[in-house]
Amino acid sequence: MKPPGGSWGRTGRLARPFIGLLLVVVLGIVLSPRTARGSLIFLSPGNLTDILMQQGEIGIIALAMTLVIIAGGIDLSVGSVLAFGASLAGLLLVRWTPAVSGPAQVAATIAAVCAAGALLGAVNGVVITGLRLPPFVMTLASMIGVRGLTRWMTGNTNIDFGFDAAPSARFSDLLAQKPLILSVWAVLAVAAHLLLARTVLGRYLRAIGENERAAAFTGLPIKAARLFTYVACGGAAALAGLIHAARSHQGNPNDGVAYELDAIAAVVIGGTALAGGQGTILGTVTGTLVLGVLTNVLRLRMVDSNVELMVKAVIIIIAVWLQRRGRSPASP
Amino acid sequence: MKIPARLVLALLAGALAGCKPSPTPQPAAGSPAPKLVVFSQCNNAEPYRAAQNAEMARLWAAHPDVQLTIMDAQQDSAKQIGQIETAIRMAPSLLIVAPNERAPLSDVMGKALQAGIPVICLERDIAQPNYTTWIRADNEAIGQLVGQFVVDHLTKKYGQPSGKVVELAGLKGVEAEINRKAGAHEVWKDYPKIEVVTEAVANWLQSTAKDRMTEILSAVPQIDVVYARNDPMAMGAYLAAREQGREQEMIFVGIDGLSGDAGGIEKVRQGILAATFVYPLCVDQAVAIGDRLMRDPSFKPDKVYTMTSRLVTKDSLPR
Repeated sequence: MKPPGGSWGRTGRLARPFIGLLLVVVLGIVLSPRTARGSLIFLSPGNLTDILMQQGEIGIIALAMTLVIIAGGIDLSVGSVLAFGASLAGLLLVRWTPAVSGPAQVAATIAAVCAAGALLGAVNGVVITGLRLPPFVMTLASMIGVRGLTRWMTGNTNIDFGFDAAPSARFSDLLAQKPLILSVWAVLAVAAHLLLARTVLGRYLRAIGENERAAAFTGLPIKAARLFTYVACGGAAALAGLIHAARSHQGNPNDGVAYELDAIAAVVIGGTALAGGQGTILGTVTGTLVLGVLTNVLRLRMVDSNVELMVKAVIIIIAVWLQRRGRSPASP
Repeated sequence: MKIPARLVLALLAGALAGCKPSPTPQPAAGSPAPKLVVFSQCNNAEPYRAAQNAEMARLWAAHPDVQLTIMDAQQDSAKQIGQIETAIRMAPSLLIVAPNERAPLSDVMGKALQAGIPVICLERDIAQPNYTTWIRADNEAIGQLVGQFVVDHLTKKYGQPSGKVVELAGLKGVEAEINRKAGAHEVWKDYPKIEVVTEAVANWLQSTAKDRMTEILSAVPQIDVVYARNDPMAMGAYLAAREQGREQEMIFVGIDGLSGDAGGIEKVRQGILAATFVYPLCVDQAVAIGDRLMRDPSFKPDKVYTMTSRLVTKDSLPR
């Protein structure tokens, strides 16, 4: 175990993402414009739940990304898999005319897209564990390859959803609902938290990320555990793709670019070590919210959207720097 | 060196608090609360869109009680949806949207309407009529104007409407490309001696158009007219022809007619383009209608306003 050094101690280190969140929330309150009746727009329930809804896609991906990173890996392909999921949903809902009812087609689409995403994740996992390719290289390759696959299968055109009674419209109405997006994210967050904190698999993932060699000597099922994280990540990215398609009312093969970076940023801000071994789901959710609140605050202040990116960059640097301060003094 | 974490956090808070909003006209002290106008622009990085933004800022600046905010969606529909969702929370007096795509923006513009915000759809349309009014430009009418201009030019050149035309197309499947082409072809179908020798797709881009035109020049010995579906592609074609010393052989016709150094009007002035057809920014009408919508609750605008184009040739420009 690494010593809980630094001036903050273990509790302090765990609390750090929350301090960040508290900080951006306070900023939101201070900087929020007011409605005509004088109340703060930032604190209105509608605005706060908008933030959650808008962060839902990144939030869901970041949960699985946390598992991948804790086990010592990385998944750069999630943005492409998100576009793949959204486009496959478009194909299945718009181009496919099965002899089943609309709701059945919607259900089949959701199941098929999640399964296909998990399958793409499995390919990542199998190559990484079987051929011992570095996760960075393999998922970089699949980030490129899956984007190509997605463009190829759609002819690189957006598949617009219909309106009214079309199955694609039903799908969009269902999955773009704010309460549904929030519930899916919340349920998955609780599940991921329990998995990491309360199960044997969770302990394995930490041990593997902390010290793979030691884990191997102990006889832990390294390959299976790692494979699981990539399958989860692929499935989560495809699920996020379903929500993305519903919210944007189309399957777009070119969407999701740089989403992997947002997801990784959320994980890192949440205190998970990129080197593996350490991290919490609570931290990741907090990190996701930090990014979401920040974007919201800047938009409410009508700050140029390019400034959003610069501010995000500063936040990431500070978050990681704070983490390092909390580690052993000997770490670089 | 040890830097206290709390100090960094405090500095960050200060820096964030100092983030200035986009430059907007601020009302004088003591005047009533400004009317917030949000313009959701699909992509600042296109010259046509930049011209829209500039015109929007210029025209609203004449209304001191209006605070204009332009949000740039950077060609990302998901981002534009998020920005409009946040804009709705600010309860603006007017929302103007230049939608990035038809289907994705329909729902969120409907949400704005439901929230009681007047919504102006600018230039492009959306899949559902979720707007108070749509101010559009008519690409097909522009295509017809181009078609007629080419007929007149060839008649003047050869004494009868006959000649060889090369077309440079924008992104296939896009409304502007489909209708700018259709309009011209509608006119030409009555003139069988006007022959379209080839059409190349150059995706609206000057550099791509130059490459395609270079290939065409080596394959086609005689060209009378290049009809490019926008000015940058016409410019690209001109550059290719010039490299081979053939730029006098043909005329170059484009669409958009933006002002400014890089715009099509300047290219006409320089004699590079024989003509350009102004694709209306639609902004003046949006500001006029939007202003009435905010101030006169009884005002019911038309559902659609169609802006007309204008032919720009060297003769039509002030000397």
